[in-house]
Amino acid sequence: MIRKVLKNLTIATALPLLFVGGVVAEDIDYGKFDDYTLRVKLIGGAQYEPLYAEIEKWEAMTGAKVDVLSRKNHFELDREIKQDIAAGTLDWCVGSNHTSFAPQYGSIYIDLNGVIPEATLAEFQELALKNSTVDGRLVQLPRHSDISNLYYKKSLYADQANKDNFKAKHGYDLTPPETWAQFKDQAIFFADAPTFYGTQYVGKDEAITGRFYELLVAEGGQLFDENWNPTFNSEAGVRAVQWFKDLYDAKAVPAGVLNYLWDDTGLGFASGTVALNLDWAGWASFFNDPENSKVAGDIGLVRAPVGSGGKRSGWSGSHTFSITETCDNKEAAASFISFLTSHERQMVEATKGLLPTRAKVWDDAKAEFAGAGNDFMVNVFETYAVSMTEDAFTPPLITPWIEVSNELWPRLQAAILGEMTPQEALDEAAAETKIIMEDAGYN
Amino acid sequence: MSNIAKGVPFWRKEQFTPFILLSPAILTLMFVVLLPLLFSLYTSFTGYRLIRPESLYDWVGFRNYERIFSNKNFWIAFGRTILFLTIALNVEFILGLGIALLINRITWGQRTLRTFMMFPMMFSPILVGYQFKFIFNDNIGILNNALQALGLSDGAIPWLVDKYLAMFSILFAEIWMSTSVFAILLLAGLFAMPRDPLEAAKVDGCNAWQVFRHITLPFIMPFAFIAMTIRSLDVARAYDIVDVMTGGGPAGRTELLWTLIARVGYDNSRMGQANAMAYVSILLSILFTYYFFTKLLAARKYMGGAE
Repeated sequence: MIRKVLKNLTIATALPLLFVGGVVAEDIDYGKFDDYTLRVKLIGGAQYEPLYAEIEKWEAMTGAKVDVLSRKNHFELDREIKQDIAAGTLDWCVGSNHTSFAPQYGSIYIDLNGVIPEATLAEFQELALKNSTVDGRLVQLPRHSDISNLYYKKSLYADQANKDNFKAKHGYDLTPPETWAQFKDQAIFFADAPTFYGTQYVGKDEAITGRFYELLVAEGGQLFDENWNPTFNSEAGVRAVQWFKDLYDAKAVPAGVLNYLWDDTGLGFASGTVALNLDWAGWASFFNDPENSKVAGDIGLVRAPVGSGGKRSGWSGSHTFSITETCDNKEAAASFISFLTSHERQMVEATKGLLPTRAKVWDDAKAEFAGAGNDFMVNVFETYAVSMTEDAFTPPLITPWIEVSNELWPRLQAAILGEMTPQEALDEAAAETKIIMEDAGYN
Repeated sequence: MSNIAKGVPFWRKEQFTPFILLSPAILTLMFVVLLPLLFSLYTSFTGYRLIRPESLYDWVGFRNYERIFSNKNFWIAFGRTILFLTIALNVEFILGLGIALLINRITWGQRTLRTFMMFPMMFSPILVGYQFKFIFNDNIGILNNALQALGLSDGAIPWLVDKYLAMFSILFAEIWMSTSVFAILLLAGLFAMPRDPLEAAKVDGCNAWQVFRHITLPFIMPFAFIAMTIRSLDVARAYDIVDVMTGGGPAGRTELLWTLIARVGYDNSRMGQANAMAYVSILLSILFTYYFFTKLLAARKYMGGAE
């Protein structure tokens, strides 16, 4: 039975390559699971919903029902899953996962190698699969990927007065920033608090840890050495923290930025009161939609800047789906996650701006945008395609990553607010991180 | 009689009747309160981590307690929680007393006003948190916009970031939500107050302040202490509002015991250590409750009530 279903799945997931744009869901055999109820826990949020609207098609094809037990943001879902592990209530089959979270969960999820056919896996980007692998086990199937690039308000760069003043002040032409130093210069140049800000950054939780991490790498630093000793309290680390602090001190970012998360930065840029915004691709179509955004039609996009270490920042990760070891019908679960990550389903998400994990979808989505005359989204896909191939790197895929992050971010905030020097903040975080890594058996 | 009594099984004897009648309540309490308490006490002596259920049996003795007692951040959060409690209770008491006295004086529309007054209590703390997060937002919040529009401020005041303003904002939300607890209980006290002493005092020539200070206030103090006991337990476990508004940040400036405990227990999965912190926090609550009950008994004694 398993072999038959998997064989069908192989054919099913390969088929779309032959019928780009023309495949109807009913052509694909995802197996039959009549009267079975698949219990799932999914990440919730506006940009993830279009995919979930497709679930009823899978139900119609397979005869199964999907019971969505929860639909929360990743941080809340993470807490819930940890409670399930503790209480032994992993009585569900499929869960949303993330490359940054997955290493924490030990062996609660099955290895998808051998469960999802090799031919299907071959259609996914190699890097996305590599990042989904923990201790040699493919514990998750990548749904879409994330990496940030720099959106900017084009009209500011076309303005002659801006060009002249900037050149006079900084001695080089005003063009979208290529380096993190230029990013800072320009953000401070454009800022006019409290009505207009140069940029903004996410200021708490793992969000600011991630931003710090990518800037640290761009500046030539690393979080750990090869023996898992923390090394982020280096000169590169101090320079990275200083970047955040300088912008904060110059009032180039809103004063409340240390409470900001992704929605705040996205909505802030859409409100037209921010010049530069380093953000995910998922926001692109929102930014360019006149109903939601005041900067629609006035947006430029360049790759994330290069640090003084000569490297471009590229903090990346993937949203994924996993199947629990305790699942009572792994075939149905495998069928379900194959459906959710199929070519058609990734096209649904890609047309909203989410970055696909299947190589072919990149081209097809771009072709669809080009066909519709949507040059902005073509540019978005071209820019993000380059950064996914050349710049992407994940945080260390280690069990205590979130714990390490929780030691880092409050101290980054303290340094930005001037309660500690960047060096003191990083030294203290490094000392705590060392204990966490020792407790976790890393050194 | 004694022969009959001898034939009766011990559990039907009169002296056991109260225990038998109370046994459903005692058993329920044991299951829902005592067992979880004992279990969490046990885990506080283990290296229990949520993501490794087998660590429940890693006995570490007092290590969790040693770690938190030598942890500066824990003690800062502990001290801040006491400060938060003290300010919230006092301000709520004063405002609640004022509202109760005002409502007590009006003769028309009192019931409607009492209902209105309870509205903030009807909202979930999470909603209250979001409401004030929006009001106090430095960029798009209505408070800063109003201040700028009225010409009272020309900058964005960082309500949720500044060292003092962030605590003020959270206190404001907490007080807004729960002042009516005091007002309702104190109003009940005022309704129950006998008129004779008041009239006698007036006949004796006392002014309004003297009547309030020496008759009204002592009479309603037992009600105030009941409200304080309830609210001290509530405020000592303040979490929702703080988590939504600031998450305990920035840089731990609004970190209270329970935001810290939740982060350690859930985000860091160190449930053993979080339970050790929770036990210290429970001691704090017990101390406050004991203090208010002592004051309550003293106040009732003063009024000629309980001995």
